Amino acid sequence: MSTLGIEVSLQAPASAAPPPEIRLAPPRAARPARAGWLRRNVRGMAALVVLVAVLAPFLWLVQLAFRPADRIFDEALGFTPTLAGFTSLLQGNFVRSFANSLVVSTLSTVLSLAIGVPAAYALTRWNFPGRRHVALWILVTRMAPPIAFTIPFFLAYRWLGLQDTVVGLALVYLTFNLAIVIWLMQTFFESVPASLEEAAWIDGCGIWQAFWRITLPLAAPGLAATAVLCFVFSWNDFFYALILTRTQAVTAPVAIVNFLQYEGWEWAKIAAAGTLVALPVVIFTVLVRRYLVHGLTAGSVKD
Amino acid sequence: MASLHLKQVFKHYDQTPVIHGVDIDIDDGEFVALVGPSGCGKSTLLRAVAGLESISAGEIRLGGRVINDVAPRDRGIAMVFQNYALYPHMSVRDNLGFAMKLQGVAKGEIARRVLEVAHVLGLGALLDRKPRQLSGGQRQRVAMGRAIVRRPDAFLFDEPLSNLDAKLRVRMRTEIRALHQRLGTTTVYVTHDQVEAMTMADRIVVLQGGRVEQAGTPLELYDRPCNAFVAGFIGSPAMNLLPGRVVFGDGGARVVTDDGLHLPLPPGSAPAAREGTEVLYGARPEHFEIGPPDAGGGGLPAEVIVVEPTGAETQVALRVGRHEVLAALRERVRARPGEALALRPQAAHAHLFDAGSGLRLN
Repeated sequence: MSTLGIEVSLQAPASAAPPPEIRLAPPRAARPARAGWLRRNVRGMAALVVLVAVLAPFLWLVQLAFRPADRIFDEALGFTPTLAGFTSLLQGNFVRSFANSLVVSTLSTVLSLAIGVPAAYALTRWNFPGRRHVALWILVTRMAPPIAFTIPFFLAYRWLGLQDTVVGLALVYLTFNLAIVIWLMQTFFESVPASLEEAAWIDGCGIWQAFWRITLPLAAPGLAATAVLCFVFSWNDFFYALILTRTQAVTAPVAIVNFLQYEGWEWAKIAAAGTLVALPVVIFTVLVRRYLVHGLTAGSVKD
Repeated sequence: MASLHLKQVFKHYDQTPVIHGVDIDIDDGEFVALVGPSGCGKSTLLRAVAGLESISAGEIRLGGRVINDVAPRDRGIAMVFQNYALYPHMSVRDNLGFAMKLQGVAKGEIARRVLEVAHVLGLGALLDRKPRQLSGGQRQRVAMGRAIVRRPDAFLFDEPLSNLDAKLRVRMRTEIRALHQRLGTTTVYVTHDQVEAMTMADRIVVLQGGRVEQAGTPLELYDRPCNAFVAGFIGSPAMNLLPGRVVFGDGGARVVTDDGLHLPLPPGSAPAAREGTEVLYGARPEHFEIGPPDAGGGGLPAEVIVVEPTGAETQVALRVGRHEVLAALRERVRARPGEALALRPQAAHAHLFDAGSGLRLN
């Protein structure tokens, strides 16, 4: 097929003036290539700009962690990277607080899942009177801002002797994570067809055996995502860690505040600590991404 | 002995009754189909036998043992679900061997029995695939294999073929029937498709509204339906039912329809059909004769609406009086829409039902 431009001329009655000639625009090949490329990728370019703008503070922090202390605020982009910021963290309490963060987050995640997942399953499959009300009440606990509970928690923990303990902090995070776990896992369990469990019951499973062998593996991606959410929330929490810890159970985000000294702020340490605190979250998210696979249940039931 | 007996089974959902006193007796080795329209309770009954639903009253007995309160896994039944319900995260091999693994059967024995069943169902090459890699028919066979490998006292099928295309359905029907003949296990088969029931079952139980309408062999239900519902439900195309009234006049008793047509009374109507009884006159499509309109011989004047040749027979939809009648004829009919014909029902094969109760009169 020819790619020439097309000429169209109107046939006017013989007595009329000579008809005007209409010439269409020349085909695409004649236009400059660069303009076309930009038009096609304008959305990608815009996304890139937004991405850089959003990540800029984070990237700035990371590069700050590798700068030698005397060149911290230099305008120049080039520098010889050094690990001095990180090694200086080894002296002092940061390692201990990092360990505390790990323990607290892991503990609260494990407890939230251990309690929340069976609860979500019961709410999904068992039709008991008032089920809808119970589900709503569980979600309502998450509707008040956490800050509203700090004074009651502080007083209660002082009375219970849980102040400045890793277990105490984990329990606080548990109370906030539980509602999210139950709410999320309910939707994931609902996506597993009940007929699979019925088939398992007939094959020889008891209720919880069927849950363990059939429902849970199929809801595993959802479980992983929920676990990551719980971990990240507990890991990143600053406020409750600040209020409820003093010296023993201090977690990493709070420990960073200690680098803001009276004499001056230790930028290298702050940046290095900040990078380290962000690292587990980034790693987790990247790892779990692979497991958020849609279509795990394809083929199990007629779709 | 794995006979199955349902005695006076009732079921309520909250305050709504769904099953009203159902009695069904199935002999050891029998293939019984439960048919009925949607909502008639057939699936509920099947699930009650499986133990997935409880019953409000009555008794379910399998192999001489009352299983009302026995857990599904201890009832000795295996079920094939409508949507297959294969475990998606397991291979076909693991799907088939799952029940045995739970029972603690030795690995070698599991492998042997899985291979045996796979061979019977033609699944040998598919053992390491996951369900999502199989076609609909293959998945259905894996679902059946999973039931077979357990060697249960009874098979329960819950509309297993309704999700397959027509051709595959016909093939699977034959396969299931052949399997039953080979294994001889008591089978309860739920379907809404009466053709499936007719071709596969030793006996059929027709259900409606949670009640048993009639139970009998396919031909019993076909030749002598006990009420108008069974008459209209069994047989495809469906029986023609024309409302009318019994009239005694000179020339004998006959049925006069609401638009004045005279139909011959079927044999055996005598005591039940009295003068003035409101009836439904039933004639199956294949029990009509067609002739030219002016030939005499008592044919009803009819007008052709549409002619549908299926190859083996010709189905002709005709307007008779105010009603539409479907006739199925062996011979090739060359009539055109709008053409006038004479339609003669074969009285010997006709059925008479009471218009009010629906019960058979002849």
